[in-house]
Amino acid sequence: MASSIHYLGIRHHGPGSAKRLLAALQQLRPQLVLIEGPADCSALLPLLANRATVPPVALLAYVTERPDICLYYPFAEYSPEYQACRWAHSQGAQCSFIDLPVAQQLATQLAAAKAVEAAQASADAEVPDGPSEPSEPSETDEPDTPPDALSAADEDAELGAPELWQGRDPIGQLAKLAGYEDGEDWWNDWIEQNQDDDEALFATLADAMGELRAAAEFAIEQESPSQQRNLLREAYMRSAIHEAAKQCEGAIAVVCGAWHAQALNTQSAKADRERLKTLGDKLPASKFKTTLVPWTSPRLAFGSGYAAGVAAPMWYQHLWQCGQSPKPSSDVAVRWLVQVAEQLRQLGHLPSTASVIEATRLSQTLAALRNRPAACFDDLRDAIIACLCHGEAALWQQIENRLLLGNQVGQIPPEAPLAPLLEDLQNQQKRLKLKPEALPKEQQLDLRSSAGLDKSTLLHRLLILEVPWGRLSDSGSSRGTFRERWLLQWEPEFSVRLVENLVYGSTIAQAASQKLKQSLLQEFELPKLAEQIHLALTAQLPQAAEFGLVKLEQRAAQACDCLELLQSLPELVDILRYGTAREISIGHLDELVQRLAIQGSLALPYASRDLDDEQASRVAQALNGAQQALLLLQETSTLNDYWWPALTQMIHAANTTRSLAGLAACLLYQQQQLATEHLALLLQRLLSPGVPVAQAAKFFEGFFATSAARLLYDPMLLEAVSNWLDSLEADAFVEYLPLFRRVFAALDAMERKRLLDKILRPGAALNKQVSVTAESLELWQNHLGGLTQLIAGAADWATTHEH
Amino acid sequence: MNDILRQPAEVKFAAELAALQAEDSGAKPVNWALSPKAVMTYLLGGSTAAGVKISPKYVGNRRLIETAVATLATDRALLLLGVPGTAKSWVSEHLAAAICGNSQQVIQCTSGTDENQIRYGWNYAQLLAKGPSREALVPTPLMRAMETGTLCRLEELTRMGSDVQDTLITILSEKMLPIPELNQIVQAKQGFNLIATANNRDKGVNDLSSALKRRFNVVVLPMPTDLEEEVGIISQRVQEMGAALRLQVPSNTQAEIAKLVTIFRELRGGETLDGKVTLKTPSGSLSTAEAISVMVGGLSQATWFGAGQLDADALSPSILGAVVKDPVQDRAVLEEYLETVLKKRADYAGLYRSLHELL
Repeated sequence: MASSIHYLGIRHHGPGSAKRLLAALQQLRPQLVLIEGPADCSALLPLLANRATVPPVALLAYVTERPDICLYYPFAEYSPEYQACRWAHSQGAQCSFIDLPVAQQLATQLAAAKAVEAAQASADAEVPDGPSEPSEPSETDEPDTPPDALSAADEDAELGAPELWQGRDPIGQLAKLAGYEDGEDWWNDWIEQNQDDDEALFATLADAMGELRAAAEFAIEQESPSQQRNLLREAYMRSAIHEAAKQCEGAIAVVCGAWHAQALNTQSAKADRERLKTLGDKLPASKFKTTLVPWTSPRLAFGSGYAAGVAAPMWYQHLWQCGQSPKPSSDVAVRWLVQVAEQLRQLGHLPSTASVIEATRLSQTLAALRNRPAACFDDLRDAIIACLCHGEAALWQQIENRLLLGNQVGQIPPEAPLAPLLEDLQNQQKRLKLKPEALPKEQQLDLRSSAGLDKSTLLHRLLILEVPWGRLSDSGSSRGTFRERWLLQWEPEFSVRLVENLVYGSTIAQAASQKLKQSLLQEFELPKLAEQIHLALTAQLPQAAEFGLVKLEQRAAQACDCLELLQSLPELVDILRYGTAREISIGHLDELVQRLAIQGSLALPYASRDLDDEQASRVAQALNGAQQALLLLQETSTLNDYWWPALTQMIHAANTTRSLAGLAACLLYQQQQLATEHLALLLQRLLSPGVPVAQAAKFFEGFFATSAARLLYDPMLLEAVSNWLDSLEADAFVEYLPLFRRVFAALDAMERKRLLDKILRPGAALNKQVSVTAESLELWQNHLGGLTQLIAGAADWATTHEH
Repeated sequence: MNDILRQPAEVKFAAELAALQAEDSGAKPVNWALSPKAVMTYLLGGSTAAGVKISPKYVGNRRLIETAVATLATDRALLLLGVPGTAKSWVSEHLAAAICGNSQQVIQCTSGTDENQIRYGWNYAQLLAKGPSREALVPTPLMRAMETGTLCRLEELTRMGSDVQDTLITILSEKMLPIPELNQIVQAKQGFNLIATANNRDKGVNDLSSALKRRFNVVVLPMPTDLEEEVGIISQRVQEMGAALRLQVPSNTQAEIAKLVTIFRELRGGETLDGKVTLKTPSGSLSTAEAISVMVGGLSQATWFGAGQLDADALSPSILGAVVKDPVQDRAVLEEYLETVLKKRADYAGLYRSLHELL
């Protein structure tokens, strides 16, 4: 039987609690340390204490078949539980968790989730027309919202106290007695920021909580669900402590939320056994897994939705660090202010050292005014705003997040049991030297190098798995196709999402491929299919790509919507070009593209009739894209036989939407499929006074929307346009002024000036003729030959063309 | 009742100050009449142990006032910034009254203010008769404050030319005022400090040099955060002013204030309080201070011309005057507001009708 049991009440993430706890442990030197935490995770304690573990980390427990049902227990460096665990391991004391096992909690959650699904299923059954596809299990839980596990594990806020006790919070009552307005402030001042190591405080605190609980007894008896849970947990912990005490000879230290300390120190074995009988079934050990996952400092914050979180993780971190250093505690404020000044300087402000001194003095005076033992976080903030930010709270808000939330990401020891996907990711991260960081960071990848290509492949695969660690910041290929710019930002829930993807496979490549196949199977629109096949190719998932191609061909056979046909062309052409550079069978995609192009061309003149503005602009976009794709493909026969005639038909059909007719004319003219004289005639005709101004203006807009610069180089075009503009009535001109502005806005200031010059002084720049000097012609031929050879890389080009 | 139009704060609230002083046992900075905590009570209201009720002078964020008082206790100068009508001068006056019992050492800074009004001037008759001497020197409020260890207030600091502003630098950092003509210096006694106010809406006037800015702790006073708070401020001030000006304050005043504040907040914020309609904003600032003067104007109209009835007809002319600062633009803004918002609200029918008539 144990000689003595010591109950040490703490706050879950409290640096002061942690420091005092360590001092107390050092004093008591217990043989056994019992920590409030899931009893069946005790096996992970050595891992948590491992030197290679860098907090913040979290215990993760998940149902193997349903990784979306999971529980987290985060630990920061300054978490008393973490420190207790480390202490125990360094001192050779035993250490274990005593709270309700996760097996039990997961079982409850699983049952609840199944009940919800069953309800959904029966609802679906009643409505036969409802979506026949079963909803994916991972989507029942929005990954963005904090998993309810967080609140389930620690719904009882920081101390384990019921948040509202008859509408008042019990700690707040204590604080009021001490002259504070807020329980949080009081606790921070006297417990967390109080840097003495007096372990007598534990006893005092336990007494105080005991009194509060006694006063709240009637409220607790009411047994709201959360109260009930609380009592159940306490009963479990009591019996666990009891069991442990039987087997331990020496002293025992129990580390638990301050609210529980007194309650655990009572004997009511019989009532406990009664209560514990109400516990539901446990999940068998084979059905769930527990592991350690890296966590991030922003996610320790209360604001991130973690119910037992703290207001400012980095402030606590700072307190902890200051507490660990031998320097006097007055340094806390100074060091913090210096950090703030440094942050402000990084933003380009110049707070002087003198201002930092003033801020320190002001914070001290504020603390005195507010009856506080030392300047606390709020005093410092007010002083910072008044002295360093010139009274502007906005400036403080700029640095607030970085300063208070930090961007720490924890690390777990290599021997931690990993979910296979996490393991795979960690291996790849190590291989590719990509470190997960909590704050966004830009990464440039050169796809020509194998490292760059591998990184890009990994990030694309993760995107498929809905783990957007990286975001492609310019997907447009304006910077060349071999360069990619990614914005990397790791969020702790990504680990969970990865684990959720376990259903698709056990490696990232496998899972990504499988998941993409799934979504291809559900996709029916050609452009989207093409997009996904393209994604499969970029992510180097040939299986998925081939699967997609088969599906695409089937689908293309049935497609007949012109817009859909045209829209799918650019992606498909990209695939074609991509495919030729890779070792991948793209089958008869070539023919397919041709067929789609022809189908699209034929449908185009009809599809572009009588459309409203919105639809017209959609068709215009597709038209531009398709034309570019076809030109890239250099399919001259398709172009000649179908595409150009289709565009010509569009111009001449009277009921083609005017803006599209304009665009068609423009595209034809640009590709020299429409002779200059014809265009002149066309412009004259379509912009002549007989045509209603509204229609003419639309045509004008369609023609020049993308090619206003042409006016600079094409006197004929310029003349036609200026004639038309001249002929407009004043009213009509004013009415369409916005439209003209829009068209000419595409030109930059220089171009506009040149255009203006041309219009105002027509003779000046136009008639510069280039004349050919006959005698130089032969010499040029010679040079040309030399140049060609030079470019071809001939070594002796100079000698062969000496003369 | 005496016939002074407006008494300085330390006279008007002499009883409160005396009550606070009587039982003030807190530690006081040198030359302070009250301890910082008693100053807080004086400004934010409360009651003394003896049961004397202390009226709140400033309604709003407690932290800001704490920062202001703590600043003065550190011998750093205090700069109160804010848009017009956010009680900057009001807070400054009451701080001075509470801390040193004298809120009358004021320099009103204008573009015409020169160094002689900041440092010291000369009595030219004396100067000619006796030459440069202390007798010929005419001290400014600032110099007197330094000599007596009290507070000096500078109103609208940024209205003053930048070169004149910079005279303050030596005084603020070295706490002394050199008199080169006499080869003497005036050294500030403990307790001396400056409270400056400045408007941060038209700050382009004469922006503070960074050297000077660095010597002030800045507290920005915001517009009241919510409707209730603003209504509270206005009704308190209207009651006080009504009593001072011997105006009747009818029972429906509170309801009318709520309506007025709603209108002001909606126009100021550019959207209706329920966030459903966006509005154009008029050019004026429509501050709480303006709302107070609209109400007092309305009460005056009601008392002298309207048989004591505070109705829409009494308020509308003042509202019109407050909103329409620019005769063309603001008129259009108000018209739009009347037609799109007020017209649909049954309880604003009176205001709508009379404003509509006035437009």
